[in-house]
Amino acid sequence: MLVMGEVRTGLLQNSGEIPESLCQSVLGLLSGERVRVSRRPIVYAVSPDQLTGVDCRLASASQARVRGVGTVLSRASVTGGRVLQGSSHIQVVRSESDHRLSWSHYLARPGVVEVFGKIRVPDLSEGFAESARNDCLDLGSVSERFMDAVQASPFLDRKAPFRSARTRLRWVAESGPTGSGGAESGPTGSGGAESGPTGSGGAESGRAGGGARTPEGTGIRFTLGRDQVRTLRLVLPGGFSPGIVDFCEDLALHDWLLTTLLVIVEKARVGTASRAEVTAKLAPAVDHLLHLWMPAARLDDAFAPFWETLERRPGFSRQWHSLVERVRDQVAINTLALLRETGGW
Amino acid sequence: MLVFAISDKGGTGRSVTSSNIVYRRALQGSDVCYLDFDFGSPTAGAIFSVSSVARGTTQGGMHGYLEGRLADPHRIDIWAESDREGLRAKPPGAGQMVLFPGDEGGGEFSTVSEEMLQRCVRLFARLEEEFDLCLVDLSAGRSFAAQMALAATARLPGVPFRWLVFHRWTRQHIIAADGLVRGRQGLLAVGVEHGHDKETLGDRIRFVRTAVLEPDAAELEGLRETQKAWLNECDRELRELAGRHRVGRTSMLGKIPLDPVLQWREQLISDEDVLSSQIANAETVAAFDDLAKKIVDDSAWEAL
Repeated sequence: MLVMGEVRTGLLQNSGEIPESLCQSVLGLLSGERVRVSRRPIVYAVSPDQLTGVDCRLASASQARVRGVGTVLSRASVTGGRVLQGSSHIQVVRSESDHRLSWSHYLARPGVVEVFGKIRVPDLSEGFAESARNDCLDLGSVSERFMDAVQASPFLDRKAPFRSARTRLRWVAESGPTGSGGAESGPTGSGGAESGPTGSGGAESGRAGGGARTPEGTGIRFTLGRDQVRTLRLVLPGGFSPGIVDFCEDLALHDWLLTTLLVIVEKARVGTASRAEVTAKLAPAVDHLLHLWMPAARLDDAFAPFWETLERRPGFSRQWHSLVERVRDQVAINTLALLRETGGW
Repeated sequence: MLVFAISDKGGTGRSVTSSNIVYRRALQGSDVCYLDFDFGSPTAGAIFSVSSVARGTTQGGMHGYLEGRLADPHRIDIWAESDREGLRAKPPGAGQMVLFPGDEGGGEFSTVSEEMLQRCVRLFARLEEEFDLCLVDLSAGRSFAAQMALAATARLPGVPFRWLVFHRWTRQHIIAADGLVRGRQGLLAVGVEHGHDKETLGDRIRFVRTAVLEPDAAELEGLRETQKAWLNECDRELRELAGRHRVGRTSMLGKIPLDPVLQWREQLISDEDVLSSQIANAETVAAFDDLAKKIVDDSAWEAL
């Protein structure tokens, strides 16, 4: 099995969070089918699946010319009426034919891209994870197109409460040694978590790449790169399950929340700027972000160990909760200072 | 907010002034980006002292993006990639400062297709999500790039935008600046063609005077009385002309004094250039600072 995808995450361009009913309208723009909504523990709305036909080169680490034909499966989702995600993925399989078949063949296999010739899993997965090349399949820009369509919805007022960058999570999942794909030299083959980040960008300070081998012979490695790029390498037993995509989207969502909160706190210049200024800068976080943290809320139990690994290192929730406390402490101190000024304390 | 910088004639100091505005705005704490839409001569890299893109990028810039050759245009974090040491340390509290360079050897567009326009709309919408101020530097005169900017903003009703028209303080420049806005195929006429309301669009356009030499400036101390009198007379005539051409005081957002540093080496003027090496004038920096504030200050943009 070789599955790869890219999730882009950003702030929905609206002044406040949008109600569930509006989620339907905003995501319904993408197609005539129904928007699925789940309400607990947080409102999550997801568009119907979208297919994009592709016949193009796939990135490979060895620069080999690998041609893939098939369809990219994409969807857009809104979490908590506030965070927008565009997500696309493909399963790479070997074509049984040596030439391109009719589109009906590919349309009957949504999200599958067939490659002519032998598939060298490590070569393709490395190539995809490394960096986006302009002449190869770019799943990120497919995801981004669907996000753009949502952001352009006439139901949104485009008056976002703060500016924020979209993050890009590029992920590759392949079968472990017990799986059918035979990826003997999988990314965690050497127990690689400690070897740190790979690829083009060095890890940012504060959060390094993290990952480890989980007990079942599966593996996960998360790396922070430059320019909002993150890569995730997964090794798991068995074949493809939609739970993989859910997991990657959930991770991308929480990584965006953490990244965005870090930027807001940094810009607030705690300790340097006046208390009133600090509080004013932190207010959007309190209004719009702090309540959205719910890792693994909708995930298949099979993926719980992956989250547990990431919670150990780099420790997403640990960093999040420490930031949240910092924000709340700042607001509390400012309130006390104001009370003192007005003689109420 | 999107801000478009344009001038009727070349050599007005449009690019160097808008770069400095962007720099000042970043120092004031906003996240800013600069888009080089001067496709014929993409030299913003030189002003920001990023030598690898001094004449545009070879890795896919604005031109290539709009033509659809790439999805992610090359972006440069000035605080990290500038060759000037003074720029490489982001001061605490400063915002992001990103340059989207043009392509080396790009050339002006000879037409604007629907696909290009859609890419332009998507680009503006995406950048507006991320940056407080996106300054788009257009080439001098009427261009397809300017037409594309007008068409794109007409399709983004929720995104605020403003136009700055740069001109020097001379007869020809004053007349030309008026023509660029109100003349045949001027900004207003083309804007209306693309669905803008003439009056609303007019309220979003302001003029910036560059390389201004005030008759009472310290530099003119050594002049003879007859010369001073002549200069005063010229200035009075120009003010009258500007008033007639509606380029006068009320529609002016700011003016930048003549500064040797801007004339001889187009660059960002840092506080260090004023305070420690003293090559630039404090008045110039004050003018940039003032413009950077006024660009986003609604009271400076009330309807005329």
